[in-house]
Formats: sequence, structure tokens, C-alpha cells
Amino acid sequence: MLDVALVSLIKNMSEKAGIEGAIQYWSRVGENLAKRIGEEAYMGWPSFNVALKEGRTAFSIEGDVTALTDLAITDVDGDVVGYIYALKECVFTPTIKRIRYSVGEIPDADRAVAEEYNNTVQNTATCNFCVIHQKFRSEVSKNITVENQPLECVQLANRGFRGDTKINRVSLERIGINPEYVRSLLRNYACVYGILMKGARLRGSEEDE
Amino acid sequence: MKEDLYDDQYKAKLGRHNPFVDVAAYLFLEDIGDKQGAAGMNNYLMSLATSLAKSMPKEEYSSWDDFMESLLKGESIISSFEDVHCPTENCVVTETCPFTEGWQEYTKRIGEFADIHKEVAEYYNSTVKPGAVDSQCIIHQTFRKAAAERIKVAGKTVKYAQIEAVTPNADEKRAPDEWLPILLNKADITETELNMTMRNNDCVWILYTE
Repeated sequence: MLDVALVSLIKNMSEKAGIEGAIQYWSRVGENLAKRIGEEAYMGWPSFNVALKEGRTAFSIEGDVTALTDLAITDVDGDVVGYIYALKECVFTPTIKRIRYSVGEIPDADRAVAEEYNNTVQNTATCNFCVIHQKFRSEVSKNITVENQPLECVQLANRGFRGDTKINRVSLERIGINPEYVRSLLRNYACVYGILMKGARLRGSEEDE
Repeated sequence: MKEDLYDDQYKAKLGRHNPFVDVAAYLFLEDIGDKQGAAGMNNYLMSLATSLAKSMPKEEYSSWDDFMESLLKGESIISSFEDVHCPTENCVVTETCPFTEGWQEYTKRIGEFADIHKEVAEYYNSTVKPGAVDSQCIIHQTFRKAAAERIKVAGKTVKYAQIEAVTPNADEKRAPDEWLPILLNKADITETELNMTMRNNDCVWILYTE
């Protein structure tokens, strides 16, 4: 009920605070959530991936996350510095279904917020909730260490409930993954992101330099 | 098709909670509480619930029996977020508070429910109506009132009144002593029956027309 009520406020919020204000609000919600969940430390990637599988990490709040262990992110020396992760179902899908049946339609402000975010922050939102969601991941990864290294989360691709997709080519190039491969992942997953050690020397970054 | 849509499996799927959204929403409300205090948060919660009810379609029923049937099936807007049963014509019982799962996710992932959720209820009880245990009750009870106002039975607007609520952390709030006999009379139950009902349910309220 709370989630549906919150959606009914988007229109109101974007009228009062403006679309930019709504983005700032949602970003703060994502940031607060990450801060309140607290810090985590793992001895290595296997222990992090097991914790994720067992629902023990902060990332598990999002639901059924799969560590795609065949898709390791490696640095210039070939060492594994991260992995690609995929969320089976967007966390907002149940909310959106409830809205469809109890209220009837998603407010237009939903798309307006997503478009503004895509134009002003990064081109990765398919609905207004991506703002909370992506900010949460980016903040929560700062509170987690693997082998004493803080993490970084990069948004790679997502599929909205309308079927529209966003593929972040800049980030994919940086980690050296073919965008078409990630597109195929979207057939079975709603959201794909990378978690890697912050500051790792990646092949894509080296080429830029 | 309709049967397919409303079969148990589909309802279960629709009803599945998403911890991320629920927990984020609670923190969003706490953020408002931090900035605007209990009074501002209360206004926000009431506006949130009213806005939700107003975004839902109006309803008309030719008889109270028709309305009851829709209410019990969860087809009426007023019961769209909760499973209810009616021991009498006007008394409605919510079996499980629809916020229970969200609250459980919060306590599991964040910790103890922040004090502001209770402080805002104290504000609501002293300035609006004494019936809320925490912020969740404010949303729920305001929603029910606004939703009832969108329903007409035999041309008359439905009215709502709260009798008792217990939250997932077992705090409860009963209508004030001076109101209770009147409410129980309208509900057509005794205080003993209310006590018995509350052993196994989360909320007792009434719907009626004048």
C-alpha cells in the first residue's frame, strides 16, 4: 500500500518541487537507504558472491540478484576486480502491477522524471524509480569492501516495464564487455550492473588514457 | 479472463512485497519528519493517503449487500490493499495490517522503527482523531476515510470510523472510552467481542451510511 501511495504522490511532488526537485528527492532517498543499511566487508569475491546468493548483502534488498560469474571484470593485468550482476525482476514491477489494478495508470510525471534524469544526470533511467535504485547501488557499494578494497557500482543495462531498454555503452566500454552481449542478458533479466573494486585499472580506461 | 487475473496465484504475485520500495518509502517519510517535524510529516502522510484515494475510481452500489460483497472480494477501493471480513453488517475486520511486510523488512534490514513514526501518530491523535499507533495507521486510516467518501450506497455516501488497531510490533490503540460505546453500538458488537476479535486480527473499523 505504501508503495502505491508513494507513486500517487509523484505528480504532486513534481508539480510542487519541479522535475529536478523530484530527482533530488529520489536521489536522497536512495542515498539515505544505502547509509542506513550499514557497512560490509568480505574476504574475497567468492565470499561476496555467496553472501549475495544467500541474501546477506545490502544489494539483496533488491530481490533475486544473480552473480554472473562467467562475466568477470578484469584489470589490465588480467586479475579479477569485479563481476557482472543481474536482477531478475525490476524491484518496482510488483508496485507497477498494483498501481495498474488499484489506480489504473502510472502518472505522466513518471516518464518526465526519467527523461530529465537521462538528460541531466546519466542516460540510464527507464522510469522515475531508476533514480532511487541506481543512486542506492552507487552509494551502497561505497560501504562494502572486498579484500579491503571499497567497491564501485556501474549501471550497465536495464529494461523498463514498457519494454524500453537502456544500454550504458560508456560503462560497458570501460569494463570491456560487448553491448550486444548485455542486450541478450536483458531477455532474461530486468537490470544488469557491474560491481568492481574502486580505482581498478581497467582495459577500457587504459585505452582512453 | 477475469477469473484468470484474480486467481490465487495472480493475487499472490500482485501482492508480493518489494522490500526495496517499502524500506525506501519509510526512509523517505523519515526524511520529511527530520525536516518538517511531526506536524509537517503528519500533513504529508494525510496528503499522501488522500491523494491515493482520489486517484482511484469512484463507486456506486444499489444496496448495502452489493457493497459488502464487493468489499469482501477486495474489489472495492476501500479493501483493495487488505483482506477483510465482516462479523456484522457494519463492522469490518482487517486480518493482517497491509504494512506488516514492509515493517518487517525495515526492522530486518535497518533496525528498530524510528521514533518519528510514533511521534507523528501522537500528533495525529491529538490534532486529528485518536486512532493511530504510528505513521502507518495515519496513512491507512486517512486513506479509508477518503476512499469511503468516494463510495455511494443507495445514493448515500459511506462513512468510516476507527475502533482499534494493533501494529506489527504489538502496540495498540483503541478509540477513547467516551467514543467506544457509540462505535461498538454502530458495529453491533460488544466490548468482549472486540477483545476476542483483536486476539487474531490487526484492525477493527466500521463502515456505515446515515
